Amino acid sequence: MKTPSCENGCVPAIEISGLTKDFRIGIRGVKLRAVDNVSFRVNAGEIFGLLGPNGSGKSTTLKIILGLFRPTSGSCRIFGHESTETAARREVGFLPEAPYFYGYLSGRELVRFYARIAGVPAKQLDEAVEKALETTGMTEAADRRVKTYSKGMLQRIGVAQAIVHDPQLVILDEPTAGIDPVGSAEIGECILAMKKRGKTVVLCSHLLGQVENICDRIAIMNRGKLVVTGTLDNVLTRKDQTTLTISGLDAFSEKDFAELDAFLRARGATLDAVSHPRLSLEKFFIQNFSKDPQ
Amino acid sequence: MNAVFWIAKNTFLEAVRQKFFNFLLLLGLVMTAVSVGITGFNFGSSELKFIADFGFGGLFLFGSILAVVMSVQLFFAEIDNRTAITLLAKPVNRRAFILGKFFGVWALLGVFTLIMTGLLALVLALRQPALAQVALARGMPEPFLSLSGLGIFALLQWLRLGIVAAMTVAFTSFSQTYLYAVIVSFCGLLIAQLQYILQDVAGSAKSSLIVKCGAEALTKLLPNLQLFNLGPQLTLNAQGVPAGTIAEIFGYGSVWIVVLLLVTVWCFRHREM
Repeated sequence: MKTPSCENGCVPAIEISGLTKDFRIGIRGVKLRAVDNVSFRVNAGEIFGLLGPNGSGKSTTLKIILGLFRPTSGSCRIFGHESTETAARREVGFLPEAPYFYGYLSGRELVRFYARIAGVPAKQLDEAVEKALETTGMTEAADRRVKTYSKGMLQRIGVAQAIVHDPQLVILDEPTAGIDPVGSAEIGECILAMKKRGKTVVLCSHLLGQVENICDRIAIMNRGKLVVTGTLDNVLTRKDQTTLTISGLDAFSEKDFAELDAFLRARGATLDAVSHPRLSLEKFFIQNFSKDPQ
Repeated sequence: MNAVFWIAKNTFLEAVRQKFFNFLLLLGLVMTAVSVGITGFNFGSSELKFIADFGFGGLFLFGSILAVVMSVQLFFAEIDNRTAITLLAKPVNRRAFILGKFFGVWALLGVFTLIMTGLLALVLALRQPALAQVALARGMPEPFLSLSGLGIFALLQWLRLGIVAAMTVAFTSFSQTYLYAVIVSFCGLLIAQLQYILQDVAGSAKSSLIVKCGAEALTKLLPNLQLFNLGPQLTLNAQGVPAGTIAEIFGYGSVWIVVLLLVTVWCFRHREM
């Protein structure tokens, strides 16, 4: 997947610079650094994956982006606005991890409530609500009380409330948690559809296969620090190795590439592709961030 | 203001659908209705005053419990269930969130006050003519009843319950647990309800300096809810209460609500979710 051409010139959807967040814990106020001098940007129109093991500082970073935490130092801007400003969240939709919603409301009432809170004009309300329900496949269950919903349905209605005001930036924290593979794939399609409509999506997920398939760029955090950021190709491709995909021949020799080509031609075989071998994101993640005593 | 309205509406809806509200409302209504039947144990006070006192007591007691428990519950439920995160991730500032929660609870207390006062007015209005006939037959003065006075008293009680709710929300804004918030709020309510005693303690020559200072501080830091105890004067006394006094109490209550909400907004603004 190609990264949108918004590296320079346009206002980034999210711009984080030197972000640090400390918490004081216990009676003695011992300092715990949850996020440590993190900087990255999310370009408008891309799907950005924010990854990391549990306790890596992802959720804290997300909460700073959403204005729920104030950074100890550094800055976080959303479309040019400081994240602590209410105005910064006008163009933001958010699905929290393991969402819990007002169980006494029906799905439609819930989405309508969040639409009103987000400032959707009364004239556009019905259309916006129905569109969000339709996009997430919740139209049929929209009149049921939320407390009767399955975990997967809660995730879907959560996505519906996140997109009902048609925000430019959608932040999804574990959107596929508890959803079966089919539902998970549908949410993946929904995210890709958002990208097609020019939306920016920030995705936090442990389903690395899905992240690998749909994200343009990723950032990986570990112990509060940003470890890696870039396109999936940059992060995952092993430049020191080359893979040849050869049809009709089992052997391969790098030094004798030219000879090999001639050799193949002489025997009627063709060299179809030359590429660098690539780790799966999951393998990369486990290799680099598995828990160890160090 | 749009967000405040919708949060308040949602809070009200959530509260009305809870069993606790319906239970307390039912208990208050039963208590008021039953008061007619137990006037035989009134120890000499007039029947109309007994019914009114019973109703006023029920209104304040159950209203206060409702104000404290519902304010804490509706506030903490949002934080515990993390619905507050979803809400505050929208273009809603924390001031709107606090005001929405408060006005939702206050609207609920308004409905409670209206229903309780409505029943009390009905009971008093039905009983007063019969008691007037008995009084006339005995050559005694006719018992006085002012329903408009009862209406003013209901408004004052709504304001008093609003102060209790605002005080509770203020305590809750910095509390970390549900139980702590409830206990501190009930303590605050008790102190606010015993302000005249505290004023006596603060002014007494027998009190030690520490006790005097403590009592003085409490009288300054918490509102005086005893000012609102005007039920009998407004409802059963022909002389009533001067309009200026009522206006002063309305002003006093309104200022306290505003101050408590400002404190709440300040505390909540610094709270990390």
